[in-house]
Amino acid sequence: MQTILNFLVKHNHWFLFILLEGISFMLIIRFNNYQNAVFFTSANNTLGDVYSLITDVDNYFGLRTENAELLEHNKELAQEVAELRLRLNEAESLNALSKETIASNAKDNYIFNTAAIINNSHTRLNYFIVIDKGAKDGIESEMGVFNSQGVIGTVYMVSDNYSLVMPLPNSKSNTSCKVRGGNETTILQWDGQDKQHSYLVDLPRHSRFAQGDTVVTSSHSSIFPEDIPVGVIDKVEESIDGMFYRARVRLFADFSTLRSVYTVGHKGYKEQKELEKKIL
Amino acid sequence: MTSDTLIRTRNFILVLLVQIFIFGQIHLFGYATAYIPLLFILKLPRYTSHNALLAWGFLMGLIIDIAASTPGIHAAATTFAAFMRNGVLEGLIQKGTADDITPGAASIGWSSYISYMSICTILFYIPLYLLELFTISYPLTLLISVAGSTLLTMLFLLVAEALTRK
Repeated sequence: MQTILNFLVKHNHWFLFILLEGISFMLIIRFNNYQNAVFFTSANNTLGDVYSLITDVDNYFGLRTENAELLEHNKELAQEVAELRLRLNEAESLNALSKETIASNAKDNYIFNTAAIINNSHTRLNYFIVIDKGAKDGIESEMGVFNSQGVIGTVYMVSDNYSLVMPLPNSKSNTSCKVRGGNETTILQWDGQDKQHSYLVDLPRHSRFAQGDTVVTSSHSSIFPEDIPVGVIDKVEESIDGMFYRARVRLFADFSTLRSVYTVGHKGYKEQKELEKKIL
Repeated sequence: MTSDTLIRTRNFILVLLVQIFIFGQIHLFGYATAYIPLLFILKLPRYTSHNALLAWGFLMGLIIDIAASTPGIHAAATTFAAFMRNGVLEGLIQKGTADDITPGAASIGWSSYISYMSICTILFYIPLYLLELFTISYPLTLLISVAGSTLLTMLFLLVAEALTRK
């Protein structure tokens, strides 16, 4: 203790020197703008580096608990993702449809529903699609089925929970269509060749259409609302008897990658069919 | 208060006034500035205690700072020069000289005095310009400033010495 004091006393001028220089530095940095700026910037930089180093070392020691927490969080997220995926499938088919169609057709008493495809044996000829909604969800036979790309087909048979959908490329299907921009209605029929193309038969010779025109559902279809896209004309030829045109339509819907669909039913459909039966 | 201290105080104030009003306004070529208060520090008696030296130096530098609105820069530099002064003097002085002399051409000879003065001046200007620039990325400016200012101050101090030699 004594030696320390002696040392302090002996070299007290050093301390005074350091003290005075310290005061000077403080004055410099505080009252001169340039020096202030330079000092604090470089101090910040250096301090930043030192702090990151300390934080790195600290983080390393907390790694185990952090791992456990992350695992738990991941599990919860996976669950949420599965849930959201289901919901997204539903919402997707809702969103993709143009709002116009919904709005305008809502007035016509169309009921829309969403469904997911659960069996799509698209490799076979004359195949059927199975969707996961059935009579319990309000699906009835002869309801229309389409997705964001275009028309897919018609509901053929319904059970409690599932429905069979007859797609467009099926020899039994015929849908009433028209060329967009015109008003003549024609029937879309499949010739059994390839799934991507169907044929508009009975196009009257006076009708105006061209290659590249879009084909949509017509207002005459009691199944579909008007103006839902079906496909695009990509070849025009004469019909067998020469009285009509026969146009090959490339279908919009890609039948090998179907996932979620929209079903549409007409509220007055039954009534309309009853009326028509009375005539026939 | 002894007359010595009184005289010293008078000199202190005198030097300060001269610096602030006359020599502090001289800036040659944008690099060189004179700093007369060094004269006062240099002329303090040989064995002045460190504490006293530091006190005088700090005070002087501080007042100049306040006048030049660069708070702290001159104070730091003058304190440093004052601190180093005794060591330099001891290193340059020959043996056998009296204890209570004031360093001057007469007492220690011209060559010693010039070396003593130049070293102290350089020791003053290096910290001064370092602090003013606050960076070492302009070594050339630093060099020119230190050299220029040292020469200028030495010029004045030598003249003062020659004039006051009795």
